[in-house]
Amino acid sequence: MKGWRGSRQGGDSASSPVAVERSLTSSSSIRLGRVQPQAPGHRTVFCNDRDANHLAKYKGNAVSTTKYNVITFLPKGLYEQFRRVANLYFLTISCLSFTPVSPVSPITNVIPLSLVLFVSLVKEAFEDWKRLQNDMTINNSCVDVLQEQRWESIPWKKLQVGDIVRVKQDGFFPADLLLLASTNPDGVCYTETANLDGETNLKIRKALEKTWDYVAPEKASEFKGEIQCEQPNNSLYTFTGNLILQKQTIPIGPNQILLRGCNLRNTEYIVGAVIFTGHETKVMMNAMNVPSKRSTLERKLDKVIATLFGVLLCMCLIGAIGSAVFVNKKYHYLELWISGDSQQFNPRNRFVVFVLSIFTLITLYSPIIPISLYVSIEMIKFIQSTKFINNDLHMYHSETNTPALARTSNLNEELGQVEYIFSDKTGTLTRNLMEFFKCSIGGETYGTGVTEIEMGAARRNGLNIKEKTASNTAREKGFNFDDARLMHGAWRNEPNPDMCKEFFRCLAICHTVLPEGEETPEKLRYQAASPDEAALVTAAKNFGFFFYRRTPTMIYVRESHVEKIGKVQDVTYEILNVLEFNSTRKRQSVVCRYGDGRLVLYCKGADTVIYERLASGNDELKKISREQLEQYGEAGLRTLCLAYRNLSPETYESWNEKFIQAKSSLRDRERKLDEVAELIEKDLTLIGCTAIEDKLQEGVPSCIETLSRAGIKIWVLTGDKLETAINIAYACKLINNDMKQFVISSETDAIREVESRGDQVEIAQFIRETVKNELQKCHEEAQHIVHGSTGQKLSLLIDGKCLMYALDPNLRSTLLSLSLSCSSVVCCRVSPLQKAQVTRLVRKGANKITLSIGDGANDVGMIQAAHVGVGISGMEGMQAVMASDFAIAQFRFLTDLLLVHGRWSYLRLCKVVSYFFYKNLTFTLTQFWYTFQTGYSGQRFYDDWFQSLYNVIFTALPVIIVGLLDKDVNASLSKKYPQLYKQGIDNAFFNWKVVGTLACFSVYQSVIVYNFAIASSTTGLTSAGKILGVWDISTAAFTCLVITVNLRLLMMCNTVTRWHSISVGGSILAWFIFIFIYSLVFVNKGTYFTIYVLMSTAYLYLLAILVPIVALLGDFLYQGAQRWFYPYDYQIVQEIHRHEPESIGAGLLEVGNQLTPEEERRYAFALLPRERSKHTGFAFDSPGYESFFATQQGVSAPQKPWDVIRRASMKPKSKSPRTSRH
Amino acid sequence: MDQKNKNSKKPVYSKFSQQELPAWKPILTPGWVIASYITIGALFIPIGLLAWTASDSVVEIVDRYDEACVPDDFSKNPQSYIQNPNIKKTCTRSIKVPKKLVAPIFVYYQLENFYQNHRRFVKSRSDKQLRDVKAENDTKFCLPVAYDYDNKPIVPCGLIAWSLFNDTYKISTRGKDISIEKKGIAWKSDAKAKFGSNVYPKNFQKDGLIGGATLDESIPLSEQEDLMVWMRTAALPTFRKLYGKINTDIEAHDTIKVEIQNNYNTYKFGGRKKLVLSTTTWIGGKNDFVGMAYISVGGICLFMAINFILLYVFRPRRLGDPSYLSWNRHPIT
Repeated sequence: MKGWRGSRQGGDSASSPVAVERSLTSSSSIRLGRVQPQAPGHRTVFCNDRDANHLAKYKGNAVSTTKYNVITFLPKGLYEQFRRVANLYFLTISCLSFTPVSPVSPITNVIPLSLVLFVSLVKEAFEDWKRLQNDMTINNSCVDVLQEQRWESIPWKKLQVGDIVRVKQDGFFPADLLLLASTNPDGVCYTETANLDGETNLKIRKALEKTWDYVAPEKASEFKGEIQCEQPNNSLYTFTGNLILQKQTIPIGPNQILLRGCNLRNTEYIVGAVIFTGHETKVMMNAMNVPSKRSTLERKLDKVIATLFGVLLCMCLIGAIGSAVFVNKKYHYLELWISGDSQQFNPRNRFVVFVLSIFTLITLYSPIIPISLYVSIEMIKFIQSTKFINNDLHMYHSETNTPALARTSNLNEELGQVEYIFSDKTGTLTRNLMEFFKCSIGGETYGTGVTEIEMGAARRNGLNIKEKTASNTAREKGFNFDDARLMHGAWRNEPNPDMCKEFFRCLAICHTVLPEGEETPEKLRYQAASPDEAALVTAAKNFGFFFYRRTPTMIYVRESHVEKIGKVQDVTYEILNVLEFNSTRKRQSVVCRYGDGRLVLYCKGADTVIYERLASGNDELKKISREQLEQYGEAGLRTLCLAYRNLSPETYESWNEKFIQAKSSLRDRERKLDEVAELIEKDLTLIGCTAIEDKLQEGVPSCIETLSRAGIKIWVLTGDKLETAINIAYACKLINNDMKQFVISSETDAIREVESRGDQVEIAQFIRETVKNELQKCHEEAQHIVHGSTGQKLSLLIDGKCLMYALDPNLRSTLLSLSLSCSSVVCCRVSPLQKAQVTRLVRKGANKITLSIGDGANDVGMIQAAHVGVGISGMEGMQAVMASDFAIAQFRFLTDLLLVHGRWSYLRLCKVVSYFFYKNLTFTLTQFWYTFQTGYSGQRFYDDWFQSLYNVIFTALPVIIVGLLDKDVNASLSKKYPQLYKQGIDNAFFNWKVVGTLACFSVYQSVIVYNFAIASSTTGLTSAGKILGVWDISTAAFTCLVITVNLRLLMMCNTVTRWHSISVGGSILAWFIFIFIYSLVFVNKGTYFTIYVLMSTAYLYLLAILVPIVALLGDFLYQGAQRWFYPYDYQIVQEIHRHEPESIGAGLLEVGNQLTPEEERRYAFALLPRERSKHTGFAFDSPGYESFFATQQGVSAPQKPWDVIRRASMKPKSKSPRTSRH
Repeated sequence: MDQKNKNSKKPVYSKFSQQELPAWKPILTPGWVIASYITIGALFIPIGLLAWTASDSVVEIVDRYDEACVPDDFSKNPQSYIQNPNIKKTCTRSIKVPKKLVAPIFVYYQLENFYQNHRRFVKSRSDKQLRDVKAENDTKFCLPVAYDYDNKPIVPCGLIAWSLFNDTYKISTRGKDISIEKKGIAWKSDAKAKFGSNVYPKNFQKDGLIGGATLDESIPLSEQEDLMVWMRTAALPTFRKLYGKINTDIEAHDTIKVEIQNNYNTYKFGGRKKLVLSTTTWIGGKNDFVGMAYISVGGICLFMAINFILLYVFRPRRLGDPSYLSWNRHPIT
């Protein structure tokens, strides 16, 4: 229900999403379709006249979202590739290797680089191809265009400015159109703009009166208008232009414009004239570039790479100094002083030798930086996201037919390190579905349903309650109540039938709901300002008090069983006064007159305000009711108290005069009305109370429970009111009564008093001071508790207005410090901008990894601000999903996304990255050791091809397999032991310690491989006494190295699948196959026949067994000792479950909300006896951020339920799942 | 129903996409660690012993002669001796044979501090030229020894060939010459493919500085085995090259006389020259390293196995003890 007003009024800056956008853009880092400056001038469109428009050369309607075309692909694609530092580095090295300073031939570096580039370009091409196909389907979808008095179906791409088109119901508008006529009376049509802004409510568009008639093709072909309008721009909510029709100039505004990307609803068809086409349409001009995010691990990786580069330089420096010292005339056989080829070894110019040696050695040692690292990581992540995350059956939501979707593959491992989750409430935690669940009438509690929380409580007591699916449960939207004692008139037999009657009447009369549709209980639909109200009225209907018609003065109720069972009668009540609900009053009253003249005031509201206004006496009932209220509140239900008061005509008349006076007063009307209301809302009689379940999304409490056990802190950021937010926080188990709650709210009497004085400056100052004091007080207390031994958990509740001041640079650090010591934080009544600000506060200030999850357009800011943005898909609009990095259908899938996919991705990526370092460092170090033996000349140890294929063939595949398949513990254990996730948060697997350890092993292994290989090189190694040359030795060393490095990977694995063995074996085999062929084919190489020579010696075999084992002995010892003395958690878990077979096919089972025994136990713990709750759970009405904005900016935008347009904008619930675009 | 299935976006089940591929989940339990150590130890020690005994049975005689072969008058300035073509370079060494040398006995020369693996050296050759008579002009990497003064290509070109070792040895015992066979000292693959049978030395060591041995221009490269041996560049600055084979046994306690033509200039760069006589076995010449390495690794493994067993006894950790879980040790607050 958000934002319709804005678009209708064309950018009323107070209340429309435009305002949201503007305020967001002002924060500079969040971009929500920045409004571009308009091109000067205007365009003139001649409707229905292609020839006239031809002169203007408007763009066609074909769109292209591709990045490249056939010609630009190579240059542009390569440019993109070389923007990466790593690729640029290797390009430089490749260029260097063409110069004589290079010890290696160019192929050594060119081949891996081109392979890497090739793979990346293929990926780019593939992605672009998909975009192209998508464009093609859009461009080729058909639309009816007026030609020769007939509707001709032509593809979108052929559409031109000025064409007259017909769009049928549910069809998409092919371009930005001027609405000319509609089949609806009054030229009205409804559009859905979900693709544009994520809002699913319908928006109304109305054609100019002059053009209403052009519905039929014959008539429409007569239309010869001329449109003068602004140049294309990206502002969705503005439009200015004129229609010149029959020499008359009629202004047109956004109300007549239908935007491309929206679709037509509830209208048979419309006729429109094309104004903007293709890339000039507003939606295309709005296409936003989602800022690409890089994962923390990758940023850490950059640091490690920089370090490696430093190591590389050091190695080069050592070598270059050595080289400069070594060059000497005395090595006459080298003829160094003859500068025949270059100055490289000229002993007379040692500085040149030094400098050139640096270049030589950089080229030689370049593999220290793993060239295929980035492309391998990209590949792994791509497969992880497309094959694993997108295909996970655990994250498939069958009701909405939505699988999970990874929209970016950059952030998989970031999911394994999230410490803070920022969650939206409505639509994310809750279904925004209010259901009448329980009630208490005259002290008797009704309703047998149990909430999820109560179920947990029951289990603690050993009861096993299954959710009843009793046949007599009357279930419909808004009503989930099961108690035979009240249904079908059975209430007449209850101890207090009169009270029941009052209760039902109060429900049926005291509200501001509008009925719509045919007046039968089945077909009539209620339109209410809040779903709570609708739920209450629906409840009344189900109890037999069917409210079916409202006129400005009357309410019609069809009452059953009132006089006797089965009797149905239509009763009318005259509504004399409505005392509206607002957040200060927290109650709503109606004064009505019965047919027999009885005057009654019905009132419903928060328990606190109602109890204050009850007539004295009847304390027993009050006490029982209060206990029940507390029970309901504890169960996470939203409660309202119902009361009534019989009025005598005299009392009423005298009061009514005051009321009329107040109502007609010009100044301070609101306040005066409130005061007058106080006069009559007293001496009330308590009827009972209602408990409405703000239906949580499935599995939310257990998901939150699991996540918090994983060490993740969850913050709820909501536009709702404090009470609602607290209520949901209770329901989600984010807050409980054991926690110390800090509440910083602007809804205090002191603040209200200052506000009533109306001085803006004073208000601001006062609130700032209050917030400052509160913050400091809370902070001190929090510190006290944290450092104390009680171990009490803390929670912070803060509302948007206070947050605005708390986010002030002076207070920000206090706020941050306070909120970080809290285990849960609830921010209510926050604007989208504030959501983003809070997210950024934690992201930047605390340097923690954050995740935002939300479903609506108002969450876009925070989704983009967090490290990882998650959108809820399959429900509302697409805006949040479009801005997100991952889209899931349900909040509870976060468990799988984070604890399973995130954790695995993190583990795997850590393994992959560290392995890459290890293998390249080891390789380069053997080379480095050799430098000392060659007079620092930079002679290579290995053949060119060995070096170039080392990365791309002999060690490439196994690490990718590990990056895809390695699992420490399986998915169900990952969820069963959420604490395992902690290691990701602490970044236990990729820190300097890990890298350092690896480097040590690398040094050790390279020393072993190198020295063992050369140790016997001087002696003859066959019985024929022949001696091996350098290429024989290096081939033997390389063989050992390939075996060692590949086996080392196997040692890192937690699981060994067939693919591990195949890839590791295959890599080693690939080396042998390669060398068998290579040493036969290249006669001119030093390596000619080497492997055959080697294989004729026993030495090779002895070495090939000895070296890997000695090299890996260190790792083995380390791993064995580490596991024994300092086992990681996952290792213990592996051990605990070592005898359990892997559950294959578990994903086939529907994953419901079943609790595992462990979870149940946790629930039981959570529900151990504790201090009696003082939380009664009043919550009512969720005005959302929009009206909050309005009030904040001083513009009052009260919700008028009987607003005609709002009624029209109610979206009929479509039964079929949402049809995707095209 | 069909329609429904068609529209369903439910992912298709596969073991791969659900990450449920059957896998072996090895856990490095103490048992595994100890067993592996014992296995390695049990395997390596016998292999090591085998290799070591083989190496031990090899008789190797090493005689350094570079210093001894310089006449005393030149000991201050050996270069003037070696570079003077007019001085006779013959030098006789007598070596005691400690153990019986069983044929075949291999004669090696060993050079030290000679950087055959220097980049400039390694690069300075033309494999094409060596192999193919038509490629005699392919000398682009041979600099600075590519062309003679008449700008004719040198075959074989390059520093390596140019610096060919040119000391010669004549061995006799009890006054009887022992013939040193020079055939079959190079790897067959070199003779067959890398050195052409129709490529003859040309313009070699003709002018300027002479680096080493000259080659008989009437013999094709494929039969110049000394060159082949020399050109299979060594990996380290200390290396041996096969000089020839002796096919008769030499008895223990015999004294052999070696007549050395001490031509090769190692004095300039302080290199050493050694003559090596050695027999071989299945692992080749004297090579204690492999045997020792196997034995010591085997020993270390057994030692580690014992250590781990002791640890297992004194500091046992029950497998899968939940009390080791970090959250059980320090509960998350």
